[in-house]
Amino acid sequence: MATESTIRMVNQIFIEKFELEPSALIPEKQLFKDLELDSLDIVDLVSGLQHNLGISLRENKELLQIRTLQDVYELVEKILTEHPELKDKIPQK
Amino acid sequence: MLTFLVFTSVFLCIAVYVLAAVLPYAVILLLPRRLSAHWMRFLALNMGRVVIYVALRPFVRIRHEDHSGGGRQPGFYIFNHRAGSDAFLVATLGREGIQLVNGWPMRLPFFGFNARRCGYLDTTQTPLEAYPALIGDLFQQGVSVVAFPEGTRSGSRRMNPFHSGIFKLAMVLKAPIYPCCIAGNERFPDRRFRFHRTREIRISFLPPIMPEAYADIPSAYVLKKRVQARIAEEAARLDGLIDRHASV
Repeated sequence: MATESTIRMVNQIFIEKFELEPSALIPEKQLFKDLELDSLDIVDLVSGLQHNLGISLRENKELLQIRTLQDVYELVEKILTEHPELKDKIPQK
Repeated sequence: MLTFLVFTSVFLCIAVYVLAAVLPYAVILLLPRRLSAHWMRFLALNMGRVVIYVALRPFVRIRHEDHSGGGRQPGFYIFNHRAGSDAFLVATLGREGIQLVNGWPMRLPFFGFNARRCGYLDTTQTPLEAYPALIGDLFQQGVSVVAFPEGTRSGSRRMNPFHSGIFKLAMVLKAPIYPCCIAGNERFPDRRFRFHRTREIRISFLPPIMPEAYADIPSAYVLKKRVQARIAEEAARLDGLIDRHASV
């Protein structure tokens, strides 16, 4: 289960990079079908995540599995569980 | 019956054009590759015009409006994609350009060979990293790029989501984007290449989006959404005009 700070951080990337309205950011939304992202947009999303987390995600195979916004939240949460030192990089408020 | 008549008319016009151009065509094929591609594009552009203004004339009225301000700088011409006839209708642009083609048309007899000789790019065969150099070189030669970012024909008035690739390229190359809209041809032909009675096709060239105007845009996604919105708005306007004329 993703924490509120993780959700906020991921949503901020969608708002800044893709200028999506916060109301459009519903966890069940499909990235490709509902939000109309394509594989190149995912590259921008990943670069945003890398920038915020300060680690490279190039080798992360689970990125290939993400389909919904919820999947992104869960992936980031998993990364934070594996690398607890990264939690400091996420604003809590 | 209409399908048979349209195909016959198009086939005859292309056949006459090819016969008339057979000598210059043979010479052009012998020229160095780059020069040959330039003259092949000239022949292709005029073949498109023959199809639009001669072969299709008895069946449909084609009108175009130019709001682009006559910009001459090479760039990306972004079209919506409702039907297969779009590939010919882009000839109304009257500009030297190549098309980004989605695989199968490049394998068609005659058209595929000539498309390759024109320098059209097969998006299924060209590696992503090769595009900036290839298209940058075309821009240097004054050649524009025609793209249908929906990727496939919608077959209706609905617009499919755009792919971001072409917009990413535009941002990398800092090139103008010329949004263009074709309306009225959604069933001319339909997705199974059957022609339906269509009174009017309208084409509109919208004002360009210059690189300075999108320099601060955070991603290709945002740029594609803005271009898509402009084309959708124009498509709705053109569809309205077509419907109004049809009801008179």
